[in-house]
Amino acid sequence: MKLEQILSCLAEGARQVVEADATAVYLLDESGDHLAIAVVCGPYPAREPVKVDDSPLDREALGGRLVIVTDRRSDPRVADVPGDFRSILCVGLVHDGTPIGTLHVCANDPRQFNEKIAERLVPLADLGAAAVVATRTASAPEARDASRGQFIRVATHELRSPVAVAQSLVRGVLKGYAGEMTEKQADVFDRISHRLDFLESLINDLLDLAAGKSPELAEEEGPTLLNAAVGRAVLLFQPHAEEKDVEMALHLCRDQLIVWGTDGGLDRVFTNLISNAVKYTPSGGSVTVIVRQVDGQAQVEVADTGIGIPEKALAQLFEEFYRAPNAKASGEVGTGLGLAIVEDLVERYGGRIEVESEVGQGSLFTVTFPMVEW
Amino acid sequence: MPKILVIEDDVDMAEAVRMPLEANGYEVVHTFTGEEGLQKVKEIEPDLIILDVMMETTTAGFQVSLQLRSPKPESEYAAYKHIPILMLTAIHDTTSLRFGPDEAYLPVDDFVEKPLTPDVLLEKVAALLKS
Repeated sequence: MKLEQILSCLAEGARQVVEADATAVYLLDESGDHLAIAVVCGPYPAREPVKVDDSPLDREALGGRLVIVTDRRSDPRVADVPGDFRSILCVGLVHDGTPIGTLHVCANDPRQFNEKIAERLVPLADLGAAAVVATRTASAPEARDASRGQFIRVATHELRSPVAVAQSLVRGVLKGYAGEMTEKQADVFDRISHRLDFLESLINDLLDLAAGKSPELAEEEGPTLLNAAVGRAVLLFQPHAEEKDVEMALHLCRDQLIVWGTDGGLDRVFTNLISNAVKYTPSGGSVTVIVRQVDGQAQVEVADTGIGIPEKALAQLFEEFYRAPNAKASGEVGTGLGLAIVEDLVERYGGRIEVESEVGQGSLFTVTFPMVEW
Repeated sequence: MPKILVIEDDVDMAEAVRMPLEANGYEVVHTFTGEEGLQKVKEIEPDLIILDVMMETTTAGFQVSLQLRSPKPESEYAAYKHIPILMLTAIHDTTSLRFGPDEAYLPVDDFVEKPLTPDVLLEKVAALLKS
């Protein structure tokens, strides 16, 4: 619920509870010195913000007292309350000891309110104050980020866990542990397995993407070792490359290149690039990864002799969910999110990414980062 | 025939663990909760325990392993301390905690990742039973 809706409910509710003619909710400004009308119900006249110190009625109410004015003609505290109301009730909106504002409840005739009637307003005012605080807290940017981060974590766990269970079962069946299968059945299970692997990578990529955009989920950035990150990624895909008969070469820089980022973020950048290179390079091809220093900047090249990227596809390559037509046709699992994640992270760390490619010849991705003094 | 106790709150995951193990001649006993699991350890004295990390609570599995490996001589599980424990984890759920077996913090012998690859599970089980 929005703040205005809550305040309107409070004003209208108060009017009904004590059968008043008009009500107004005043909120304190950030300094806590002035009260301004936030919402009115009934013929409560408009008014400039009022200084708390100049309004004895509000000051008493903010201090935690319920103020009852039986007839304004005999009560000096209400000299500056607008309108011709004879009876006025003023309740402080206070939450956990913090004053938030006041509620004015007015009737045209004198002696309309007594202690007993006024008491009915207290729970309403307390509830209203709590709702105002809750709404303000929930709409603060940091609270939004935190709850989004929490949501993403829970959602991904809830999504990932049934997929992992299904994958585990299907792998067991495919291995023949649930008995012999016909060729046709094996083919169907193979397809199921393929789809589940895709779903798993999609969930992982979505989490990565969300983590990159949600500061609450991200690791703290700082000076990070580039050689180490590239080395880890190459090591991770070495067995897969060997299995596929793709030659993998790594040339690290002799100098320790330090760039801005996080280990996890750089891991995601290079595992994505190297995994793509291995994935889209046919047997007998090669993937070459070079880390070097160029014009005072740190540069990583990932070159492959793979299927290449059509010129038309280059412009959309870093868009979320985009996959080049020949990548789709290759039958390899891909979500189209990997390069979007890579670009997002590289730019976050102050770097840039470029790509050159020729269909059937291969691709070259170049990532350049500013170096960090350490 | 080695006896393996599987403590796993997801019935389908338990089946995925059971399938390759039984096909390879292991006897598999399954419980859903850590509490039942601890009870079963005393009853059947398994040769190996396969334990899920997240069950009723996110750390139920950790608690079971800590109880089984309690260093206190008066622990009711002192007689079962030697039983190897293989922990099932979804590594992505714990990315900030890239943990490995750690005597002090998490006394288990090895990890196996979800989604399960049957051959990896069988390899780890065989290795732990041999040791």
